[in-house]
Amino acid sequence: MGHVLREAVAAPYRDLVTRPTGAAVRTRIEAALADSNCLTALLDFSEIELVDLSCADEVVAKLLLTGGTAYFVVLQGLREDHREAIDHVLTHHGLAISAVPPGCRAPRLLGWVRADAREAFACISESGPLDVTGLARALGWPESRSREALGDLTLHRLVRPVGEFYYPLQTT
Amino acid sequence: MTKVIEVPTHFDDRSFDAFAAGFGEWPPAEKVLIDARGTQWASPYGLIGILTAGQALAEAKREKPLLTVPTSDEVKRYWARAGFFRHAAELFELHGKVPRSGPTGPSDVLLDVTPVRASEDVHGVVHKISEGASRILHGELGLEMKATLRFSMALSEACQNIVEHAGTSGWVAVQAYTFRRRLGRRVVVIAVSDAGVGFRRSLESTHAKRFGERWGDGAALEAALIQGVSRFRDPGRGQGLAFIKRFLDQWEGKISIRSGTARLSIVPPWDEDIPLSDHLPSFPGAQVQIIIPAQDPKSR
Repeated sequence: MGHVLREAVAAPYRDLVTRPTGAAVRTRIEAALADSNCLTALLDFSEIELVDLSCADEVVAKLLLTGGTAYFVVLQGLREDHREAIDHVLTHHGLAISAVPPGCRAPRLLGWVRADAREAFACISESGPLDVTGLARALGWPESRSREALGDLTLHRLVRPVGEFYYPLQTT
Repeated sequence: MTKVIEVPTHFDDRSFDAFAAGFGEWPPAEKVLIDARGTQWASPYGLIGILTAGQALAEAKREKPLLTVPTSDEVKRYWARAGFFRHAAELFELHGKVPRSGPTGPSDVLLDVTPVRASEDVHGVVHKISEGASRILHGELGLEMKATLRFSMALSEACQNIVEHAGTSGWVAVQAYTFRRRLGRRVVVIAVSDAGVGFRRSLESTHAKRFGERWGDGAALEAALIQGVSRFRDPGRGQGLAFIKRFLDQWEGKISIRSGTARLSIVPPWDEDIPLSDHLPSFPGAQVQIIIPAQDPKSR
């Protein structure tokens, strides 16, 4: 993200601030994804100093709102204030994203999903791929509840469905 | 005829209305002289308010106004150190001896009076503030380290409101000082002002209808600050002020916005301001003030 930002603003700033900057950064990310065969985009914020709400909205929320994209998005290298800004804008939109905290492998959710979907996300992130029956067994839920939670996660592009199984998003 | 407008002796958000009243109808027909000779102190809000008046007169194609500088050497030196005269010289015919800017280095002026014309300026403001903000907010005011970044975020969002909504340029200044009369503690104050269309006109086409006869400067401020609405239909808009409000609540901070003839404040327990003041003397654009006080030593 630091590299994309420097290219977008043609200046050595490390702050993701203002809507025009956010829009320019998002456009570059979308162009890179369009040219790539990768299924999952990992956006690394570790070189970024400040993320304001306008930029979080333009980059992260609008990237998720872009319809018809085939890719998944995971964030990494976020500091607490980055997480706070991104969580705020995604919650406002009713969106969610997977973010890997520094020094961890298991991702966390930022933004808004229903409580069951959040629990299912944590379970799959820890256990690896599960199907409806496996998740229901792991959480002591009826299958209908498990199916609904997995449906929510699929809708939010927070798990990757392959056949009967739901995979956590790749984070490395 | 020249209309003389006296700058209050103690010029801040409270005495601003007396300054605004001096102009009468906007834009005033007569030539304007802003008389600051007797001014003993001005907050960042006051300083950029004077520049906003000068800018509004220039944009209304009025004759270049006059500005008599403060008599007090100490006051003049502070105004010079805050970068006021550098910009005032472009908007006013200055009368009185203006000192050169003082030496740079650690100072209570976290951000000189800075013009905000485009989003590139917001990048510059955020970049410039980062080091000094940490020294003051964490070192002096006792706020947690992460407060510095929230503070920069608030500053960024407040400045962007000019670029996104005012329809013209504006000004920002940030300073730390001791709030003796109201609080008895150190504070950091962000002041942002523009000479643009104001909240009412900015929101009118999209929001006036649902307010009906209540629509006016006060209702527009309520819509923006309390309800988080924006003139844009994009649902991601209007979150900046909501976020600022949220973090100010944690730190017992205060935000007040004046636009047109109204001023709306989120009033913390230490202040006795009126939440909504209406029917004030008209003034162009919008003026925002954010105050973050030193944390109570008992709670640190």
